[in-house]
Amino acid sequence: MRLFLKEHIPLLIVYLVQIILVGTLFWLGSDTHSVSISLYSAVLITVLLFVYLTYRYLSHRRLYQRLSEPAGTLDQSQNEIGESPLADALHELLENQFQLYQNELYDTRQRLALHTAFINRWVHQMKTPISVIQLTLQDMDLDDDEVEGSLQEELDKLRKGLEMALHTSRLDRFEHDFRVDAIPLRSAVQEAVADNRRWFIRNRLVPDIRIDEELAVYSDAKWFHFMLGQVITNAVTYSAGRGERVVFAASRREAETVLEITDQGVGIRPEDLGRVFEPYYTGSTGRNYHESTGMGLYLVREVCSRLGHRVEIDSAPEQGTTVRFVFDARPVRLPV
Amino acid sequence: MFRIFIIEDDAKISSMLKAHVEKYGYEAAVLEDFDRVMERFESFQPHLVLLDVNLPKFDGFYWCRQIRHVSTCPVLFISARDSEMDQVMALENGADDYITKPFAYEVVMAKIRSSLRRAYGSYSGRQEERKVEEPGGLTLYPERFILSSAGASVELTQKESMLIEALMNRAGRVVSRNRLLDLLWEDHHFVDDNTLNVYMTRLRKKLKELDMEERIETVRGAGYVLRTTGEESP
Repeated sequence: MRLFLKEHIPLLIVYLVQIILVGTLFWLGSDTHSVSISLYSAVLITVLLFVYLTYRYLSHRRLYQRLSEPAGTLDQSQNEIGESPLADALHELLENQFQLYQNELYDTRQRLALHTAFINRWVHQMKTPISVIQLTLQDMDLDDDEVEGSLQEELDKLRKGLEMALHTSRLDRFEHDFRVDAIPLRSAVQEAVADNRRWFIRNRLVPDIRIDEELAVYSDAKWFHFMLGQVITNAVTYSAGRGERVVFAASRREAETVLEITDQGVGIRPEDLGRVFEPYYTGSTGRNYHESTGMGLYLVREVCSRLGHRVEIDSAPEQGTTVRFVFDARPVRLPV
Repeated sequence: MFRIFIIEDDAKISSMLKAHVEKYGYEAAVLEDFDRVMERFESFQPHLVLLDVNLPKFDGFYWCRQIRHVSTCPVLFISARDSEMDQVMALENGADDYITKPFAYEVVMAKIRSSLRRAYGSYSGRQEERKVEEPGGLTLYPERFILSSAGASVELTQKESMLIEALMNRAGRVVSRNRLLDLLWEDHHFVDDNTLNVYMTRLRKKLKELDMEERIETVRGAGYVLRTTGEESP
């Protein structure tokens, strides 16, 4: 309605001028200078105007409604917007645009799907050579145990890198790829720690797991394992040579379960803290460590938001960092 | 002797698996011609099959079903595909277990052993007991945790047995603390430096009973070494 009125302000002004003009003409032209004829013409013109405006409004109501309320979703733009020639033309234009846009979108999605499939296939292909190297390393039975340990470490890094690539590409099709279950927190953490045990051992760090046996959270086991792996990798990397232990503690507060992973490492500067969840952000500390991709925490936050968990980070430079996962007591609902 | 059939299209992996399986006293065969899977299966009559998922022509799931038509022998999948879906598919097609690549020999061997035990019982057609020997005269029976030398023997705990086995396998060469810690860190329980020291002390005591106490030597900053007789410290 407002748009309709706004649109017709020039017309109303023209009519007003016209009423005054015609009224004055009639007034000047009549011998008696009577006002009644002028008034009569004014009423006549006004009625005519209102009849026109009413008709116009009724016939274009849907168009105006449509124009003043932007479409919420894509296919709303396909709705009918009236019969008038203007509405028809607009409808056609929208439909045309929509079609072009759809084609573009389809192309892009197709390319993305192809890319995801490629990454998936590639990662799996790379696992065979890694297996071969892994087995060869065992077969070689090197005289120097340190060399073997160091090669094993590099292999572990390769494996982790592939794992991360795989999970990053899976993030796009998350909704096809997760299942929420009740997960016993203690054993999930133990498993993730055990997976990274060589990393702990090499960096002389002790995992300290203080989690009640009966605590459980609703999450996807695989993604949760992946997130823990990322956080553990960070905790160990950034506290190697300075900290002694990485503490895993869990508690329940009201409807939430909280898992805290605390290291005694280099910490994160306050100015970096707000940005650690951004993709590719390594911060001033990360740049001193060659393996920082800046993707770990970004992925953790992405996965968390999809699973309905929260992830928070506290840190004091030179003292350590705490990453906190907050789980709802209720199972997360699957996004549609 | 148990026969193990390896169906895997990467020649290197299959030959390495074959060599390793044979080292443990099994007979192994590698499939070469993917046109004649079932023929080869029938002629070899394996007790257990190691099966890859991604294979030329038909996938591993297909072959698992074909095997199930003629045999109930354990089938272990070895695959790079690690999704839950693939593992479910494998089990639904009749597999007994699923191992993801990259894998370590120990995992494969442990799963082979447990599958064979489940399928054929621990005593039927039993293998000769595994034993580990080293040039210094020690013999370890890792399945019973018994260590013996010159007629005398001592009973070990499982962890002690694992430690001495690692040392014996590399007799005369240094075994790093990292490797020993990694070894002990099984079933989710973390073992720290002090605990390792405690285990080593106990192990030395057991060796004392065999008059071999001085054979384990600590190499500062590196690890431990099991001296072979007559060798001088570096």
